[in-house]
Amino acid sequence: MKRPVSSLSLGSSLKGKLVRAGFQFTTDLQDLNPEHLSAEAGVSQQEALEALQAASSGHGVAPVTALELLQKEEEFRSIVTFCSQLDEALGGGVPVGKVTEICGAPGVGKTQLCLQLAVDVQVPAVFGGLGGQVLFVDTEGGFQVQRLVDLAGAAVRHCSLLAEDEEQRVAMTTFTVETILSNVFLVRCRDYVELLAELHLLADFLSNRPRLRLLVIDSVAFPFLRLHDDLSQRTRLLQGLGLRLIAAATSHNIAVVTTNHMTTRLHGSQAQLAPALGDVWGHAPSIRLLLRWEESRRLASIVKSPGHMDASVQYQITYQGFRDADQSERPPSKRPRSQTDQSASSRKNTGT
Amino acid sequence: MVALLVGMCPGLDEGLLRSLRAADIRTVEDLVSSDIEDLAQKCSVSYKALFAVRRVLLAQHTAFPVSGADLYEELLSSTAILSTGNPSLDKLLDSGLYTGEITELTGGPGSGKSQVCFGVAVHIAYHLKQSVIYIDTTGGLTAGRLLQMLQTETNNRDEQMEALQRIHTFRLFDVCALLDCLYGLGGGGGLHMACVGGGSVKALIVDSVSAVIAPLLGGKQNEGMSLMRQVAAALKTMAKDFSVAVLACLIKEDFDLQWWSRAEGGRGGAGGGGETSGKRKLDETDP
Repeated sequence: MKRPVSSLSLGSSLKGKLVRAGFQFTTDLQDLNPEHLSAEAGVSQQEALEALQAASSGHGVAPVTALELLQKEEEFRSIVTFCSQLDEALGGGVPVGKVTEICGAPGVGKTQLCLQLAVDVQVPAVFGGLGGQVLFVDTEGGFQVQRLVDLAGAAVRHCSLLAEDEEQRVAMTTFTVETILSNVFLVRCRDYVELLAELHLLADFLSNRPRLRLLVIDSVAFPFLRLHDDLSQRTRLLQGLGLRLIAAATSHNIAVVTTNHMTTRLHGSQAQLAPALGDVWGHAPSIRLLLRWEESRRLASIVKSPGHMDASVQYQITYQGFRDADQSERPPSKRPRSQTDQSASSRKNTGT
Repeated sequence: MVALLVGMCPGLDEGLLRSLRAADIRTVEDLVSSDIEDLAQKCSVSYKALFAVRRVLLAQHTAFPVSGADLYEELLSSTAILSTGNPSLDKLLDSGLYTGEITELTGGPGSGKSQVCFGVAVHIAYHLKQSVIYIDTTGGLTAGRLLQMLQTETNNRDEQMEALQRIHTFRLFDVCALLDCLYGLGGGGGLHMACVGGGSVKALIVDSVSAVIAPLLGGKQNEGMSLMRQVAAALKTMAKDFSVAVLACLIKEDFDLQWWSRAEGGRGGAGGGGETSGKRKLDETDP
């Protein structure tokens, strides 16, 4: 199968000159030396060299069989959320190597879940965690260090209770609130330009920090919601962003978690809540978690996933963080009970 | 446009080439379409030599006509129909995926395109025992899910592993890498390398094409359309030349579809008629 010169990754003017000089396929370019080519096509020596290199290389990467892929997947653990029902539905937790999106109405707990994941990714390997670092990109300003301290403290207490053998006790010495905080890299992006710039620099950042296992973007919708005058540009930027995130997740084996807002979609005369940024962005994350309210309960549903079934679980946000909902069923009483809803009784208003 | 080079045919030596260049004749088309007498005088070469060169070049570069009957025979012998594993889908597709054609799958997010692709890959790898090439650009390929699907077909671990080995995956995230991969498979015997696990490659699944092309379309960029046509041409050529069934996923966006179908249909290839140009599309909508 002959490859046309116009499919090579070269500048368009260079490709134009080559085609006009009659070099249609890469086979035509193969036996030439740079001086000859630059004379024939009227291009500089540098460009001729570049063209010849592009023509002879570029046979792509070797394929990986599905079996090898399976072995690689089994090697990497998921990041637990500390809500055991959700972890079970997700088959272990938020998977590494994929882009997961958390969407929900304001106040339902998206940032809380992100903070919880930022702590959970650091759980040492002996306890079943990843012992990794996290890059937290905050676009809304919802990151509260004090809350992270609370969550970190709760996680450390939880793990120290679990520590049984010597290895785990040794690991606990490196798993303290201070180390947890020092392993969270916070970036504050004020608009979409800063966000895109940060992601351009991501590859370098990741290669310098091989222990990084989680990238959180809270939220990805906020900077783009302001771009409503040029929708086609927004579409292109979002698609490019999505592709970049997926590439980073697969090539560096990190879990990417993004947060999204909800918007109203009209189906005929019915209004329905749907994730923001449209179908264009909807294709980017592989897994989508929808957090929502149902009367006074909070539910987390898996609405999109290539490997898990759709499921809904109940969760709650406590002082300690993202946890399972309390399953105790209270017997119906004749007199109205005073409201002692656990999720509201936390000392801090956990807000977003 | 093929450049005139030394040794292309007997009689086309360095000297003749230089004099032709001087007369601004650089490609075969220029030579064939110019007046030989005129040219002979301008370049001071013999009319006979130039005429002989022209005749040889014409013979070398003209398209070869094929009769319809021969084409039909070839089609009957080389086309295979691959079942997708889902009987109602097979019925919709007129018994399955045809080799030599591109079948296109469109739908919104979460509508199940990747699941259909997984199902097809698993069915072909396990039941038909042929190799499948799966190009993933969305990051949604989970080997665990493939294993889950295989586990419903058979409990034998060895057979499951064997079937998984027949699915060759590529994870690419930009259009140049995609083109490199496709041409790498096409030329240089890549397709034969891929079938070490037994069975020849009968299907090529690309999930999804729009993920890599859509960021390049629109705006001030003009490369996007050209690259999209390149991808369409590469897939089309692979389907026809190697007799594989190509299953391409696209996201449901109206303007994408319009240009893609034109790109697919326009490249009819050496004998593809309207029907066999591989423009069968499946639309998926949420239930």
